[in-house]
Amino acid sequence: MSHQGVCVFGEWTGEAIHQVTYELLNEGRRLADELGVSLSVIFPGPPEAESEAQGLIEFGADRVFMALDPRLANFLDDVYSRIVAKVLEDSKPEIMLFGATAVGQALAPRVAGLLRLGLTAHCIAFEIRQDDRALIQIRPSFGENVMARIISLTKPQMATVRPGVFRPAKRTAGRTGEVIHVELNPELLESKIQVLERQKAPKKTVDLTKAKVIVAGGRGLGNKKVFERLFELAELLKGAVGATRPVCHIGWVSEDHMIGVSGVSVSPKLYMGFGISGALHHVVGLQGIETMVAINIDPEAPLMQRADIAVVGDAREILPRLIQRLKDLKGVEHESRE
Amino acid sequence: MRIMCCLKPVPKPGTVKVDPETHTLKREGSDLEMNPYDRYALEAAVTLAEETRGSVVAVSMGPPNAEHILIEAFSYGADEVVLLSDRVFAGADTLATSYVLAKAAETLGPFDLIVCGKVSVDGETAQVGPEVAAWLGWPSVIWVKKIRPAEDGLELVRVIDDSQEKLKVALPLVITIENEANDPRPPSIKRLLKADELEIKVLGAEDLSAEAKYLGLEGSPTRVLDVYTPEYKGERRVLSGPVDQVVDSLVSILKERGLV
Repeated sequence: MSHQGVCVFGEWTGEAIHQVTYELLNEGRRLADELGVSLSVIFPGPPEAESEAQGLIEFGADRVFMALDPRLANFLDDVYSRIVAKVLEDSKPEIMLFGATAVGQALAPRVAGLLRLGLTAHCIAFEIRQDDRALIQIRPSFGENVMARIISLTKPQMATVRPGVFRPAKRTAGRTGEVIHVELNPELLESKIQVLERQKAPKKTVDLTKAKVIVAGGRGLGNKKVFERLFELAELLKGAVGATRPVCHIGWVSEDHMIGVSGVSVSPKLYMGFGISGALHHVVGLQGIETMVAINIDPEAPLMQRADIAVVGDAREILPRLIQRLKDLKGVEHESRE
Repeated sequence: MRIMCCLKPVPKPGTVKVDPETHTLKREGSDLEMNPYDRYALEAAVTLAEETRGSVVAVSMGPPNAEHILIEAFSYGADEVVLLSDRVFAGADTLATSYVLAKAAETLGPFDLIVCGKVSVDGETAQVGPEVAAWLGWPSVIWVKKIRPAEDGLELVRVIDDSQEKLKVALPLVITIENEANDPRPPSIKRLLKADELEIKVLGAEDLSAEAKYLGLEGSPTRVLDVYTPEYKGERRVLSGPVDQVVDSLVSILKERGLV
């Protein structure tokens, strides 16, 4: 067997190791154990990241390929992709996983292009095909509203994984493994990209990933004015407003509110979807929700089939009525306290 | 600055057709439109061409019924339009698609810059831009928010998680554009009136000197095995009836669960 082993990309944020790396280590460990092979990490970063990179062994890695240089303190698309491609060519793993982060999505396709490899974006699950050890990569497919099972005919079989899909690996203190320092010659480190300035990005208007309650709206809400009433409901429930992609596209709300493949993954206790049909692009962003409520005029809509509570009715009518009802309720509570 | 802008024909929502055997999108016979994200790429390309007295070649890979997308691109300011169309391109995944676009850049070039949208609304992989760069051996920067011509290159702003970076990147270069980067202009009526005279160049595999092993389904390393509809188990309560009644029931269930 020419290619063997599972490998994941270790992502440095400039201050720490990105959370998704621990999620990749957990799923990577599971795949490696099922295949009976070792798990490696490719970690480019500045020298000061060394001890944290070494710590990845305690999170399940058997080997850490470290490419350490002060010039790797910032993510450089061309240099990082060259380094990852070189380690993959030398170590020949059968599987390579990246987080579908900003860095992972810039890096993975460059590596795929350099090595002429298949790459499956935004996977949400993996399976091993028993007869030939092929990695079955599962992701939502096109506008079909189905999940697709995909294989790669090239090795390593590469995929990016949505952050928040897998649980992070747990630490086992004292776990041992090997550190391999990647030889970095000047050509490998030569970049056409120069970072002039790095600063905190303007804060997103909303962070849905931490919300306990999310009230989300889709095109079924009819227009922007009705959609905006979701903010009133969110305030009453101490929650945040989520949205589907089409609604962000037509400008009812900014993309910071987008849940789904090109948006964020969320796991609130309560999720309410108003006039959302439940396209997979949106639904894959809903993870481990305790109570899912769908409000739709069409009882057959996919989100209605999936919800814990399916409310059959026009979301445009139900939303204002629900706001009023909750306001009345608060008023009553308020009075009784007085 | 000579710029190539890649525009993807995507099926209009609700008209998606899929080949039942390969599970790849059938762009022929679907109603196609320009990938909405690519409008921002085109606007960025046209603006930059105006600022640098350059020109924009708009390129689409797709079936003949994608031609109207290129006419639209002309109305938004593209100087030349090219359709990359050949039966052997069919069934291409991102690697095989980016190969054709890279060959087009070589054939129609030299270019200083290739501009793509940040992602397509159908495949939603965001892979083609960086893959084109890799085929050409060029640097790439994705999800660019701001662009400014600088000496020997471009100054770009991009966001990685919580950090915003200002970069200086040498040309030639591939970038993908964030939709907050600009506000696309309306179509020019003057240009639309001239659309009849527009020459839509059509190039196939031979015109691009493309190697068959990298094209279409054969050149695509990924295969869709099958598709399935996810099933969700669990208890489901259905509330229906007059609005007031369902809202009351909903509120009491949420109260029972301690959610309101």
